[in-house]
Amino acid sequence: MLLLRLIRNEITKIIGKKRSLIGFAAIGVLMPVIMFAFSYHQSGFSSDFSRRSANIGGGLIMVGTPVNGYFITHLIMNFLWVHIPFLITLVAGDVIAGEGGAGTFRIYLTRPVSRLRIVISKLCASLLYTATVILFFAGLSLGMGILWHGTGDLVVMHKGILILSSHMVPWRFILSFTFAILVMWVVTALTFMFSSMVNNGIGPMIGAMAVIIVSFALTTIPLDIFEAIRPYLFTTYFDVWQKAFHDPIPWFNISKSLGILAVYTSGFIIISFWIFVRKDILT
Amino acid sequence: MSAPALEITGLHKSFGKLNVLNDLSLRVETGEVFGFLGPNGAGKSTTIRIILSLVKANSGSVNIFGRSIKKARHRSLIHTGAMIEKPDFYLYLSAEQNLKILASMTHTPYSRIDRVLDIVGLLHRKTDKVRKYSQGMKQRLGLAQAILNSPRLLVLDEPTNGLDPGGMKEVRDLIRRFSDDGITVFLSSHLLQEVEKVCTSMAIINEGYLIREGNVSALLSESSEQTVRIAADPIGKALALIEHLPDVIQAGIDEGHIRLIMPKEKIPSVISHLASQGVSIRSVIPQTTLEDYFLSITGNPPILQETV
Repeated sequence: MLLLRLIRNEITKIIGKKRSLIGFAAIGVLMPVIMFAFSYHQSGFSSDFSRRSANIGGGLIMVGTPVNGYFITHLIMNFLWVHIPFLITLVAGDVIAGEGGAGTFRIYLTRPVSRLRIVISKLCASLLYTATVILFFAGLSLGMGILWHGTGDLVVMHKGILILSSHMVPWRFILSFTFAILVMWVVTALTFMFSSMVNNGIGPMIGAMAVIIVSFALTTIPLDIFEAIRPYLFTTYFDVWQKAFHDPIPWFNISKSLGILAVYTSGFIIISFWIFVRKDILT
Repeated sequence: MSAPALEITGLHKSFGKLNVLNDLSLRVETGEVFGFLGPNGAGKSTTIRIILSLVKANSGSVNIFGRSIKKARHRSLIHTGAMIEKPDFYLYLSAEQNLKILASMTHTPYSRIDRVLDIVGLLHRKTDKVRKYSQGMKQRLGLAQAILNSPRLLVLDEPTNGLDPGGMKEVRDLIRRFSDDGITVFLSSHLLQEVEKVCTSMAIINEGYLIREGNVSALLSESSEQTVRIAADPIGKALALIEHLPDVIQAGIDEGHIRLIMPKEKIPSVISHLASQGVSIRSVIPQTTLEDYFLSITGNPPILQETV
C-alpha cells in the first residue's frame, strides 16, 4: 500500500511538470500532420511503391493502394524509432536528478520511508510514463490512421514484400508495441541510472542520448570492425519490435533479444538502486 | 528515566580527506529548545543531515528517543519533523498538494494539512502553487511540513534564513509555540540573538569539534569576558583612549555608546583611566551576550543579521 502511495506521489510530480507533456505534445502534433500528408500524397506514394515493387521483380501487380491506417502506423514506427528515446529521457532523467537539483530531497527523504522504496516508486513511475508515451503513440497513430485511412492488409518489407492479412494485423501491432515498450524501458533504465548519479536533470538526458546515439551508430554502420562488439550493444536488439511483423514470427530470436535487453535493464536498475540508497544528500 | 529526545555519540564524518565532524557527542533532553551553534563550516548542517539520515556518518551513533537512526530508521524518524536550510518544495504543485505528498508517506490524515497550514497562517493560500509564494511564505510552509506528522522532535536548520525581521519574529514565535506544545526543538542557527531569545540549552561546535554544551544562562555566566556599554563624553576621545589600552578585545561605537569587550577584571581600571583623562562617564551597563561568548570561545566573529 505504501509503495502504491509513493508511486502515486511520483506520478503526481511527473504530471505536474511541463516537460512531461512535451512527449505527448510532440506526438500529438506530429500525427495529424503525417496523416494529412498521407492523404494529400496518397496517389503519389502508391505509384512510388509500385515502382519500387517492380524493381524487386516477380511480376507483382498492385491493385489499389497499400496505404491504410496499419500501413501508416508501421511506417511512422520506422521513421520515429530513434526519436522516441529522446522524449523518454526528458522525464526519466529528471526523476531523481531533478529532485537532487531542486533540493526537495531535503524534505522528501527525511520521512520515515526507506530509500529503496522511494527509488522503486520513482522507477515504477518512470516505466509507467514510458509505457504511457508508447501507448499514446500507438493509440493516436492507429486511431487516427484507421479513422482517416481505414484498415486493410499490411504490406511490410521483409525478405521482399510481405503482406499480412488484415485480420492478423491488430494482434501483430499489440505484440509490436509491447516489444516497443520493453525496448524503451531499457532507455528509461539507462537514463534513470544516470539520474541517480547527478543532481541536474539535463545531464542524464544528454548522457543517455549520447550512449544511445553512439551505440546506434556502431550498430548500423556496416563495417567489419564493429561486427565483434555488436552483440554486446543493447541497441543491436532495439529492432525487436519489427520482428512482430515477420512471418513466421521468430519467437526464439525475439526471446533472445528480449532476454538480453532484460539483462541490460536489470543491470542499469541495480546500479541506480545501489547508488541512490548510499548517496549522501548534500544539495 | 526516559531516553533523551536526541543523543549523538562519537560522530565522525569526512568527505574525502576533509574531516567535517570529529567525535561529536550531544544530548538533547525531552522538552528542551536546544540551540546548535557554530561558525560557517563548523559542521552544523552535516550533523543535522546525519541526524535525519540524509548523510551517512563514518562512525558514531544517533538515537532519537532511544532508537538508533541506523538500526530503526523508520521508528526514529516517525516522531521527527525537520526543516533543513531553505525549504524547497515542488514549485509546480500547490501547498496542499505538496503536503498531501508528504502526508501520504506517514499515514497522516489529510485533515491535518489544513490544521498545520492554519498554524503557520497559510490556509487561505493552500491552493496556490508554491511558485507564487514569497520566501517568507515558503519558510512558513517549511515549518508546516515539519510539524505535519505531529513530531515530538523538531529539527530546524537555519529556519529564519532569508527572512525579513518581521518574518524572523514570526518564526521565532512559532518555535516558542511548538515548545509550549511539548515539542523538543533542535535549532541550528548562526543568529546568536535568536538562540539566546529562544533556547534553554545549547551546544557550540567549531571545525567539527564540540566546544561547549549546557544551559544557555549558565554558559553565559561562565564567560571570563565582559561586554559593557559606556555612555561617555566626549565619545570620540573616550574611544581613542580605550583603543590604546592593552587587553581590549573589541571596542566600537554602537548607537551613541561605546561597546567594549574585555576581561571582566580589567573594566574598573578602564573606567578610572577614562575619568582621569577628563572623560565624563554617564553610565556603564554590563552586557554579556551570546554573541560575545561565541566570539570568545570560537575566535570567529558570528555572522550577524538584523533581528527584531
